[in-house]
Amino acid sequence: MPDAAAFQQSFGALLGHADDVPDVALRRALAVHHNTSVKAALDALCANYPVLQRLVGEEAFAACALDYVASRPPDDPRLCLYGAGFAAHVAAWPAYSELPYLAEVGALERLVVEALFASDAQCLDPSLLAGGLDLDMPLRLHPATRIACYDCPAASLWLAHLENNEPALDDIDWSPEIALVTRGTSGVEVQVIDVGTRDFLGARTLGAAASAAHDRGGDVAAIFSALLTAGAFSI
Amino acid sequence: MLMTAGLGFRTQHLDDALTTQAPGLWFEVHAENYMVDGGPRLAALCALAERFPISLHGVGLSLASVEPPAAEHLARLRDLADRVRPVAISDHLAWQKWQGRHHADFLPFPRTQEALDVTARNVARVQDALGRPIMVENPSLYVDLPGHQHSEAVFLAELARRTGCGLLVDINNIYVSAANLGFSAEARIDAIPADLIGEIHLAGHTADGDPSSPLLIDSHDQDVAEPVWQLYARLIQRIGARPTLIERDDNIPSFAVLMAERERAHLLLQEMEAAHA
Repeated sequence: MPDAAAFQQSFGALLGHADDVPDVALRRALAVHHNTSVKAALDALCANYPVLQRLVGEEAFAACALDYVASRPPDDPRLCLYGAGFAAHVAAWPAYSELPYLAEVGALERLVVEALFASDAQCLDPSLLAGGLDLDMPLRLHPATRIACYDCPAASLWLAHLENNEPALDDIDWSPEIALVTRGTSGVEVQVIDVGTRDFLGARTLGAAASAAHDRGGDVAAIFSALLTAGAFSI
Repeated sequence: MLMTAGLGFRTQHLDDALTTQAPGLWFEVHAENYMVDGGPRLAALCALAERFPISLHGVGLSLASVEPPAAEHLARLRDLADRVRPVAISDHLAWQKWQGRHHADFLPFPRTQEALDVTARNVARVQDALGRPIMVENPSLYVDLPGHQHSEAVFLAELARRTGCGLLVDINNIYVSAANLGFSAEARIDAIPADLIGEIHLAGHTADGDPSSPLLIDSHDQDVAEPVWQLYARLIQRIGARPTLIERDDNIPSFAVLMAERERAHLLLQEMEAAHA
């Protein structure tokens, strides 16, 4: 009789290779365990990359996702966080070599997942600034806030597909975009921002942020107000 | 009111759950889905915990693995328990870790004396980290492995005796295992010491494969099957009422439909409470 370690080593090695096992009962059991495990990982990818799935269709998504599960199976029981490398996998997937925007949409979806589960922190809101603005006030991004630049209109694509908004798809200007992901009181939000807003977010103090946004020709008050509403900063 | 029948919690059911008034209702969640830094999902669970008893059901401790539970994972579970203050914490008699991978199903093993030592050590490590006892659930079995030295009932009872853990009896898993391995579900149910049982699970299953020799799969995507209800009645008639969960993890119906199924268990438990009063 094998010891526990030897048994787990040999049983683990057979998972995913059930067809090679001559014993029918063991083969069927291995297939059930393998299929259940793969389905759980696939379901996690579907949950975390819903727009990517809509863009390519369920069948094509499943083919790419199953290859990812086989090459990078979960290493953490928290499957709600599974798929950190999926966008890179999509980028390298031969069928999508002519569709580089897919990987960028996937990368944005990953930021949405990160934002969804990031640490809690009290958002900086306008009422906390009622006493006046201190230009030396440090600006801290909320733990959920993410900013990313894309070569394609990844955020516009994501927003239009998430809401099944076909007219919005027709209006998309196919050019690079900067996406802002925030988690405010109503949940995770994605929006397209301009370079003034991006530079505002990159500054460490309110004064530096205002200066950076102004240098880009931005409306500083409007930018700051919109970012506060989105919950981009924490106190 | 004592905890009677509970439901697996789904975030999409939060509003319905928070406004329902069912006596004895409680909720269970898969702990790993909430072992995150923050965000609305965790906040929803904390809001639910203000109104209802919560049970944290782990699917990742890999209690029978030769590799001990990771300290980081235990710390996260402890953090979650500190936030939610659950009435119970449980996981499965199975292993899932292999070569750095997490296999998201409950893998079987020969129930040897060594496996008992390994599992008892892991359970003790978990309980030390949490500062409280856990419950361990019998898994669904799909093949009769060679090399067992203990029956599942004896193995679990001895595990409980050694570690002080309780037992979570999954009736559907017993039914599925009995059908797949060809043993008596009734005898298996009758062999579980009553004083060790802290919780009961009921779930649905599906048949897969060759129609002439179907394998039952613990799929949690159907209503609880009638033979499982009958086994449940048999168990609680012997041991009395225990908190009982209707598990549903796929093909999830509306909250109202789940509550209707839950009502059947609730009524049976009320009958048992009255009979044992």
